[in-house]
Amino acid sequence: MATNFWSSSHYKRWIVDRATLHQARYYDLQYADSPEHLGFLNIFFANLISKLGKKLQLRQRVIATATVFFRRFYVKNSYCETDPFIVIAACCYVAAKAEEAPVAIRSVVTEARTLFGDEYGIKTFPSDNSKLAEMEFYLVDELECDLTVFHPYRTLVTLCGKEGGVSLPQAEAGEADADDSDGPRYWGTGEGKLELQEGALQMAWYGLPYCPSPQAQDAQAPVRFIINDTYRSELCLLYSPHLIAIAAIYLTLVFHAPTRASIQQPASSAPSHSGSSHHSHSGSPTRRSSRSTTHSQKKQQQPQDVIGFMAGLNVSMTLVATIAQEIISLYALWDRYSEDVHADSARSSFLHKSGSASGGTRRGGVKAGRSASVVSSGTITSGNTPSTQDDSAQNEIVTPMSLVQLLLRMREQRMTDLAHPPSGRPVAVNKMLERTQAAG
Amino acid sequence: MDHNLLVSDPMRLYRAKRDSARKRVTDKYTILGFISSGTYGRVYKAQSKDVDGRIHAIKKFKPDKEGDVVTYTGISQSAIREIALNREITHENVVALKEVILEDKSIYMVFEYAEHDFLQVIHHHSQTLRQSISVAVLKSLTYQLLNGLLYLHDAHIIHRDLKPANILITSSGVVKIGDLGLARLTHQPLMPLVAGDKVVVTIWYRAPELLLGAKHYNKAVDIWAVGCVMAELASLRPIFKGEEAKLDSKKNVPFQKDQLLKIFEILGTPSEREWPKVKDLPEYDGMKRLDHYSNRLQEWCQSRMPNGAQLLKELFAYDPDKRLTAGEALQHRWFREEPLPTRNAFVSLSAERVPPHRRITQDDAPSMMPLGAGGSHVQGQVSQMQATAQAHLSQQLSHSHSNQSGKAGSAASFASVSGGGGPSRKKARLG
Repeated sequence: MATNFWSSSHYKRWIVDRATLHQARYYDLQYADSPEHLGFLNIFFANLISKLGKKLQLRQRVIATATVFFRRFYVKNSYCETDPFIVIAACCYVAAKAEEAPVAIRSVVTEARTLFGDEYGIKTFPSDNSKLAEMEFYLVDELECDLTVFHPYRTLVTLCGKEGGVSLPQAEAGEADADDSDGPRYWGTGEGKLELQEGALQMAWYGLPYCPSPQAQDAQAPVRFIINDTYRSELCLLYSPHLIAIAAIYLTLVFHAPTRASIQQPASSAPSHSGSSHHSHSGSPTRRSSRSTTHSQKKQQQPQDVIGFMAGLNVSMTLVATIAQEIISLYALWDRYSEDVHADSARSSFLHKSGSASGGTRRGGVKAGRSASVVSSGTITSGNTPSTQDDSAQNEIVTPMSLVQLLLRMREQRMTDLAHPPSGRPVAVNKMLERTQAAG
Repeated sequence: MDHNLLVSDPMRLYRAKRDSARKRVTDKYTILGFISSGTYGRVYKAQSKDVDGRIHAIKKFKPDKEGDVVTYTGISQSAIREIALNREITHENVVALKEVILEDKSIYMVFEYAEHDFLQVIHHHSQTLRQSISVAVLKSLTYQLLNGLLYLHDAHIIHRDLKPANILITSSGVVKIGDLGLARLTHQPLMPLVAGDKVVVTIWYRAPELLLGAKHYNKAVDIWAVGCVMAELASLRPIFKGEEAKLDSKKNVPFQKDQLLKIFEILGTPSEREWPKVKDLPEYDGMKRLDHYSNRLQEWCQSRMPNGAQLLKELFAYDPDKRLTAGEALQHRWFREEPLPTRNAFVSLSAERVPPHRRITQDDAPSMMPLGAGGSHVQGQVSQMQATAQAHLSQQLSHSHSNQSGKAGSAASFASVSGGGGPSRKKARLG
C-alpha cells in the first residue's frame, strides 16, 4: 500500500472531479459574497492548519495530511453548516496520529484556543478535550477511515534525487529521509533521475523564487513552497500527487532563471551566474554521473536533457500543464490575500506590505509582493500565462479577519434560512436540535 | 431557532444530521455471541442482515470512560493504526476488514470471520488428538503465513505481533493474518520506530535484536516470530518459553535475561562472527555475562521436523540482515518437497481431525451490544458493562490457569486477543 498508489484508498475513493467539488460548495456559494471568496477561504483554512501545525511542531507531511483531511471533510459538508475551526483542530489531531507522530489532545485544544481566539477572535472553541475528541470521531467517520494519504513530496524526491548533494533544510528532512530505494515511482516508466540545481530543488520544495542571497533572505524571510502551496487550493482532491509534483518541477524549470537559460541554450553558451543574486550553483543541470566534475566543466559537458527527461515520464503533459496553470491561478488569487490579521475590514483595502512583527504577517505581505512579480515577470513560457484579472477585482485585498466575518455571516444566514424556509414549513432544524439535546 | 445554541456549539446541527443518517451496528448485524476479549476491547461473532447472511467478527474497541461515564477521550493510536492499515490492504492471507462503524463513542471493526486460529489448532493437537500436526498441514500453514507476510512487508508494514493467537484460519483452511493493532508502516517514518512503542512483540516471539535493546529494527522481527510459530506448530509448545522481566516503575525496559537464555539454550550464544553488529547493541554487556551455550537446533528438530530444520535455521539467523526475507523463505526448498503446501491447509485431514469450531458464549454477548440509541441507555449500559467485565475477568483468569495446566481447549482468539494465553503471553504496551 505504501508503494502502490493505484490500489490505495486515496486513488480509489478520494480523487474527485470538478463537478463534485462544485456540488460540495452548493450552499456555500449561495451565502458567499462571490465564488472567488471560496478560493480565498481555501487559502485561509490551509494557512490556519499550517499555523496550528507549526505551533504543535508537526512536520510538513503531517500538516499536508491534515489539510487533505480538511478538504475531504468539506467534500461532504458545507462551511456554512459547520464550524471549520474545530474541524481544523481535529484534522491536525488525527493527522498526527495517522502519520505516527501523535500529539496530546490537551495541547491541540490549548494551541487551537489560543491561535483562533487571540488572532482571529474566535471565542467559541471549546476548552473541553472531549469536544475535540468528539469531533475526531465524526471526522474519522466522514473520512471513511481512509487515513493513509499520498503526497507529492515523495515523487519529488524520487524524481529529483537527493543524493546529488542537494540538501533540504532540517525541518523538511523527515519527508526526504528513509528508504527511498524501497519506494519506486508508482506510475511506471521513466528512467534515471533529474538532477536539479540546489536552488531549483528547493524551489520546487519551497516555492519560487527561492533566493538565497543573505540580504534577500532577510527581506523575504520565509520561503514559500510550491508543493506546500498547492494545499492552499483543492488540487489535492483533483489530481494524483505525482502529477502535482511533476507540475511543481515543471514550474521550477520554467521559473528558475539559470535552469531555464540552460534549457534554452544548451551547453555552448551557458552564462555565468556567479555574480548574480541567484544561486552560486548555477551550472547546467547534469546527470549524477558527472557530479565529481567542477562547475565550470559541468557547463561544457553533458548538459542534462531536461526536456527529454520530462517527456520520458509516462504522464499526460496536458494534465501537468493544466495543473501548472491552476497553481499559477492560485498565486494570482493569493496575491490579493494578506495575512495581516490586524487589518480590519475598513482598512483592508490598503495592503500592509511592511507588515508587523509577527512572522505570519510579514510573510503575507512579502508573499503578495513576490508572487506578483512572478506572475508579471513575463517569464512564463509554453502558453501558461494566466488570464489577467480585471482591474476592479485586483484592488480588493482580502484579509483573514474579513474572511472570519464572512464565515460567521454565512453560517448565521444559513441557519436563519434553515429555520425559515421559503416553503413556510419551518424548522426541521429545531426538531433535530431537540433530538440532540435530548440525547445529551 | 436558537442562535445561542449555535454560538455555543456550532457543530450541533451537523452532529444531529450525521447521527440521523448513521446506520447502527445492530441495524446491519445480528450478534450471535461473544468470542473473546483483550486489552483493546471485545470481539463478537455476528451475522449480516444482508441477504447473503455472511458471518463476521466484530471487534468493538473498549469505549473510554471517565469514572462511570463513557466519554470521548480521543481514539487510541493503536485503533487509528489498525483502521488505517486495514483500509488499504487486501490479500487472501490477511484478514479483510469489511467496514468500520462509529457509533455511541465506540468503534466497531467488522472483519471477515475465521473459524480457527493457530493457537486453537495447536491445542487441538496437543490436548484432544494427542499427536503432532502433520507435515502437510504444518507446511501449508507456514507457507500461507509467509505469503500473507510477504504482502504486508511489500507494503512496508511490519506486523510486530505475530503469534499463534493472532494467525487465523478459515473453515476452508485459508490462513489469515490478524490483528494489525501493533503493525505499522515503515515507509518514510517521521520518527524512529522505537520512539512509538518501546516494547513490541509478545515475549516468546520477540526477536533477539529487540531483546538486546536495538534502537532500529525492521521486517526481520516478523520473520523471527514466524520461526517461533513454525516451531510451535511442530512441537505443540512454544519453543522459547521464557519469563518476561517486568517493566520497572519508571517504565524502563528491563534486560530480558530469561527469554534470551531460552533462546541460547537451543540456538547457542550468538557469536560476533555470525552477528557482527551484536556488540553495538545496548544489552550486549548483559548478554556477555550469561552462560555460554552451543547450538543444538539440529538436535531439537530431529524428532520434531527433520526436513524443515534447514528453513527453521535460516528463519532463526541471529543477524537480522542474514535472516531470510518472507520472499526468500517462500522460495525455500522445503516448500517444493512433498507434501506440497495446499491452499486448503486442512485438505489432507479427515473430518474428525479438523479442529472444532470456535466456541462462542451466548450469555453476556447480546447485552454487550447496545440495543437502542441515545444517551438514556448509556447509564444502564455502563453498569452492565462493568458487571460483565468483572464476570469476564474471572472467567479469563480461570481460563488462562487451565491453559497452563494444559487441560482446557483453545483460548480461542479472534483478530487479536492479546490476553489469550497466560500472563506471559501478554505484551506490554507503552505509549
